[in-house]
Amino acid sequence: MNRNPTLAALAAHRFGLGEASLATVGDDPQGWLQSQIGPAEPQRGDGLASGVEGLKRYAQFLQRLQAEPRAAASAADSMAMNASTEQNFAEHFRTLVQADVRARLGTAALSTRPFNERLALFWANHFTVSLAKASARGIVGAFEREAIRPHIAGRFEDLLKASTHHAGMLRYLDNDRSAGPDSTLVRRRAGRALNDNPLIPRGLNENLAREVLELHTLGVAGGGAEFGGWGGYTQADVTEFARVLTGWRVPILQLIDAPPGTATTRFEAAWHQPGSKTVAGKTYAEGAGALDAVLHDLAQHPSTARFVCSKLARHFVADEPAPALVARLVDAWQRSSGDLPSVYRALIAAPEAWAPQPAKLKSPEEFVISSARLLQLGEGAFTRVPDGGIGALGQRVQAAPSPAGWPDRAAEWLGPDAVWKRVEWATRVADRVGRGRDARALAQASLGPLLHDDTARQIARAADGPQALALLLLAPEFQRR
Amino acid sequence: MSTRRSILTRALAGAAFACPLATLSLAAAPAAASPDARRFVFLILRGGMDGLLAVPPVGDPSFADARGPLAVFNGTPLKLDSTFALNPLLPQLHAMYGQGEMAVIQATGLPYRERSHFDAQQVLESGGSKPHELATGWLGRALTATAGAAGGLKAVALETAVPLVLRGPTEVDTWAPSALPDPSADLVQRLEAMYRNDPALALALARARGLREEPGMGANPQDMGGGMGGGNNAGRRAAVGLATKATEFLQRGSQVAVLELGGWDSHTNAATANGPLSNNLRTLDATLAALRAGLMPGGVWQRTVVLVATEFGREVAVNGNAGADHGTGGAAFLLGGAVRGGRVIADWPGLAKKDRYEGRDLRITTDLRAVVRSVLADHLLVPRAALDAQVLPGSAGLGQLDLLKA
Repeated sequence: MNRNPTLAALAAHRFGLGEASLATVGDDPQGWLQSQIGPAEPQRGDGLASGVEGLKRYAQFLQRLQAEPRAAASAADSMAMNASTEQNFAEHFRTLVQADVRARLGTAALSTRPFNERLALFWANHFTVSLAKASARGIVGAFEREAIRPHIAGRFEDLLKASTHHAGMLRYLDNDRSAGPDSTLVRRRAGRALNDNPLIPRGLNENLAREVLELHTLGVAGGGAEFGGWGGYTQADVTEFARVLTGWRVPILQLIDAPPGTATTRFEAAWHQPGSKTVAGKTYAEGAGALDAVLHDLAQHPSTARFVCSKLARHFVADEPAPALVARLVDAWQRSSGDLPSVYRALIAAPEAWAPQPAKLKSPEEFVISSARLLQLGEGAFTRVPDGGIGALGQRVQAAPSPAGWPDRAAEWLGPDAVWKRVEWATRVADRVGRGRDARALAQASLGPLLHDDTARQIARAADGPQALALLLLAPEFQRR
Repeated sequence: MSTRRSILTRALAGAAFACPLATLSLAAAPAAASPDARRFVFLILRGGMDGLLAVPPVGDPSFADARGPLAVFNGTPLKLDSTFALNPLLPQLHAMYGQGEMAVIQATGLPYRERSHFDAQQVLESGGSKPHELATGWLGRALTATAGAAGGLKAVALETAVPLVLRGPTEVDTWAPSALPDPSADLVQRLEAMYRNDPALALALARARGLREEPGMGANPQDMGGGMGGGNNAGRRAAVGLATKATEFLQRGSQVAVLELGGWDSHTNAATANGPLSNNLRTLDATLAALRAGLMPGGVWQRTVVLVATEFGREVAVNGNAGADHGTGGAAFLLGGAVRGGRVIADWPGLAKKDRYEGRDLRITTDLRAVVRSVLADHLLVPRAALDAQVLPGSAGLGQLDLLKA
């Protein structure tokens, strides 16, 4: 029994990923959440690919295509291939990608630290590296395991550095292909034909620079007025930061025979733009050291605290979080120089986070994971279909459509077709596992005082076990949190 | 080609005139068909289509130098007029141009001048003058503004959620292909009872059910493939499938459809034969041809306007990877039997560095909201007062473009 069953239910569903029984939470819901904070647990799964292995796999594909250099060139950076190359590419990575998806979902379905796991999922979305772009194929799971999960309970600065330095991010946002316009590499090539080798750059690519500023740290100017505002960079800063980033590369073709543990990224001075650079009013010296110095300053910037804390509050508490709640998180962030556990503890302690009325609609991924936990299906939920049907619900796992990641507001998930797909999905799952389960008891055990009488009545009156379970999965109390 | 300055002056004076490249007038709206017979499709190209690659200004003296490898095409650019051509990967669009069914709007863009995809898309869809000024969409508000005794226009989005552009007081349908079995009618009825206390879920469920009760409309067309977005081969099949599905809705009584094509944010090797943008252009061409083919029966195409727009164009100069980074000005397409096509509508600013916005991007000389406004007024007959106040607030001063056949 829980001394405060409402708080236990909110801890389980709003902060966590749902529980089959609130007994799991125990008598101290806030303590239960706090005790979970730490580096994310190792993901479940055997033989999951490291960054080196994912890149090797990519390099092997490029090598196979060597007879067709044009195809290799386009495969290197885009989803643009002819149909047979495309099919081969997908096939080449299928086992690896499916293992990554299963590892992510199976771990979430079974974790005994579901709040911490939610944080890992949140940060993987904040720092999106997506299968939607071919250059990230094979390394999305490794990026989560290597850049995100070990760093979610440290300082934001360290998480930011781990993300920006990782081969997955460098490739996903094209930094691998960016060279200083006055670098040795580009100067050497001056005067040659423009199209002689499309893999060798002739200057900057500002993709990563812009998204680090806009999506990972400062936010875009004009946003967040209700939280004190964010932003603080111009187009010139984007270009200057892109120059800072030149030289940070992934030597993919040289990794083909690399032993485990080989570094996947390196700073290549020949690609680096000479001279000092000025980003957001501060000047940084030429060279490899400038990147971490810029990231340090971005992490300390007040816009970053406001922007990132508002996202955290939006994710856990409400689509439009109360400014007072965001202010608490920002305060904890600033007092601790961005120590993330301090921010998480402020979130757990915030009274705004415990309003009994649910304000968030679960994303498709949260819905499927929480259903697996409710039904205690474990990794079995992802055996036959690796993503458990999340893609069919409109959210391709590890394949967000843009570097902004998946949206975090109900309006983005609440279209008629989206709701209909949830009904279809719940019907299918309930037909498979609904016999022999007592949905009435399950509803009580999982939702406790959050379960409304009307919903309980509908479940009790269902025609059969599967229908009762479908109603529970689709109940507003289970769809929202 | 007229000079930019002279055209602008005349446009501001509000004088009606016509010239080969730019036609701006305050002519009264034609009213050929009743509003409920008209069809409007909005196709959003997410990621920032490179308008200089799609509609290259091959006659601009600065073009070849400014674009370098992006001025070299896989094939001969398809001539539009003395200045502009279409990318050779858009042959079906070019045929529509030749038949007077397609117009290009060049050097167009939003009031937003920064280069964030996400803010720019918010402005593109909301119809505001800056990001997050408006929380609903211009098309959604237009539906409400046309809602009279007849109940207003019926709209569908070919995706699972309602895109921002269609959000507003009027409820709309969404549809995406499904591999899952339909739930039983009994379960749906019970859910409706259970959702009595949750209006948002209740409404979404009721609309989805209503759509599926129309015979045949719940079914997947053949060969839907995976999700939409992306110019690869599976993505192309999916896009064409969704466009075909959209025409089914439009043939059966929906007046407005919204589709999107993603994958335009390519920073690398944009012009290579199988490069990302090349394949996206092929997908765009196939998608628009599928819309036309599906709307031909019954002459629906003759009553249709399709607007194709993106959140921004790309930088004029090529980046280090034979691609182009984020810019501002770009191109949009207007097509359909109701469009007075066969022309490029452009107050062309030129590509020389001094003519660029911030020395970097194609300068925006036609506010995209003027295009939207003109189509809404002349085609969907949205009252001017509603356009000024609710649908596109702050747009009253934009010139009315004469875009449709009389």
